[in-house]
Amino acid sequence: MTIRARLTLWYSAVLLVSLFVLGGGLYYEFVVERAHAGWTGHPGEPVSHEINEVLGLYALPAALITVFGGWWLTRKALAPISALTDATEKMSAKNLRERLPRTGNGDEVDRLSGVLNAMLGRLEASFAQEREFTLHASHELKTPLTVMRGQIETALGEEQLTASQRDLLAGHLEEIQRLAGIVDGLSLLAKADAGLLVLQREAVRFDELVRDITEDTRILALSAGISVELENCEEITVLGDRHRLRQMLLNLAQNAVKHNRAGGWIRYSLRRINREVRLEIANAGPGIPPEMIPRVFDRFFRADVAHGPNIEGSGLGLSIAKWIVTAHGGNIRLSSRANVETTVIVQLPVRTGRERYGSAATNPASRTA
Amino acid sequence: MRVLVVEDDRKTALFVRKALQTEGFATDVLGDGDALLETVASSHFDVVVLDIMLPGRDGLSLVRQMRERGLETPVLLLTARGEVGERVEGLNAGADDYLGKPFALAELVARVRALGRRGGDTKAVVLRLSDLTLDTVSRLARRGGQAIDLAPREYRLLEFLLRSSGRICGRMEIVEAVWDYDFDPGTNLVDVYIMRLREKLDAGRKPKLLHTVRGIGYVMKEPA
Repeated sequence: MTIRARLTLWYSAVLLVSLFVLGGGLYYEFVVERAHAGWTGHPGEPVSHEINEVLGLYALPAALITVFGGWWLTRKALAPISALTDATEKMSAKNLRERLPRTGNGDEVDRLSGVLNAMLGRLEASFAQEREFTLHASHELKTPLTVMRGQIETALGEEQLTASQRDLLAGHLEEIQRLAGIVDGLSLLAKADAGLLVLQREAVRFDELVRDITEDTRILALSAGISVELENCEEITVLGDRHRLRQMLLNLAQNAVKHNRAGGWIRYSLRRINREVRLEIANAGPGIPPEMIPRVFDRFFRADVAHGPNIEGSGLGLSIAKWIVTAHGGNIRLSSRANVETTVIVQLPVRTGRERYGSAATNPASRTA
Repeated sequence: MRVLVVEDDRKTALFVRKALQTEGFATDVLGDGDALLETVASSHFDVVVLDIMLPGRDGLSLVRQMRERGLETPVLLLTARGEVGERVEGLNAGADDYLGKPFALAELVARVRALGRRGGDTKAVVLRLSDLTLDTVSRLARRGGQAIDLAPREYRLLEFLLRSSGRICGRMEIVEAVWDYDFDPGTNLVDVYIMRLREKLDAGRKPKLLHTVRGIGYVMKEPA
């Protein structure tokens, strides 16, 4: 049955009920009471009084029944639409495999769900196609890159090269390595999108990884005169993939060095807040305009247009970092104050269950000891 | 030393063979994996370089079959780099080392050489080279009796280089062993650390122990 037919039917029923209430009242006031008055010999009430009584006692409830019945009916009729809206709202490129719920009764909403589901199917297919394409492309690109790199390295070993030929080849080699880096990043993300990447789940001492990366950042930042500090570093164990967590930290470190000013600073802080690990990496970068912040984790997004494509890196570092954090059940965000500082905040769930280090680390007494 | 290269891409096979021959290794090439088991069983090879993606064949299953037949020739797997998990899988299947494509030729040569003389890895507690000693228990480095102050990462780097002293170590090999990365960090991290380590070890002292092999990697040795 269509919603229109259903609404008409139900509303007629509600109207009928309210008419019965009103009709019953009128009958009682004008027929039963008057007959009663005639039998007992009491003088009848004035008509105007009776009309007031009818309006107050019966017309008002009848109107209320109509209004609330109508409201309830409309709500019931529209409920599938709000359910559909909620379900559609949750749809994104991440869960295209899911489908909208169907009632199966063939009404307008059900047909709409059907049409939307068909559309989702087509979207899912084209997304899958794009992922497959990236996956294959990155795999196919690796063979020629290997050949080019190998041949150039072989050529560089030749004695009779002139200095300018050597420079040219060395330049090519650098670009090939950069290209290889981009292809690596793309293939990692394509695999992640396709759900093909399996993360290890082992207990990882996150504070040790942070200590390591602080030391490396110090080295990476040396030539730019950037100072690196580790403000807090509580003992914290997380459950996750050691290599991917290291990769995430390195990407963030490289970013903090790259988008800094000469003689600037970088501050790391690792703390445990309730059941969460909170890592903050602040730097003295020029800042990112607020309207661009939501886009910094997009693939190939570059905030400082002034640098253009000349700034090093694959343009995928932050996207990869975001994927790694999300895959560990955490979240990552960036906040920025122009020309003061830019901070990346990573939150990860603390390892639960048997925590060998947890209680000791959060106990202030044991820290000062 | 004799090396067997199994690689279906002709051009890759060509420059790999050339590089290995330049190093003085006798090198044979197979274009596919079909004859691998018979070849390894019938003649002696010191190292097998095996592409993981062979037409119609999976390099991993070949390694597994080799090991099942008791063929213990060290295997270096070549695979598309950054394929997370393939490294672990390869090592589990019985491969001895793993190198992602595109690789540096020098890295390949360094690893083939390392595999060829495998077993020489020292388990010593105190590592020595000339008048340099590194105590791996107290984590103390001394040169000519003088203590050298090392940051944690510098210590790990020195220990790795000393344990493979006399052998050229490729950059990716160092990154994997010292940084615990299974991906190319794409920075000059290793070079900068080596520079600082060299300053601490060799500055104002003779002989120089930490040497750069241009375009290839690094080696710790006493000059001949």
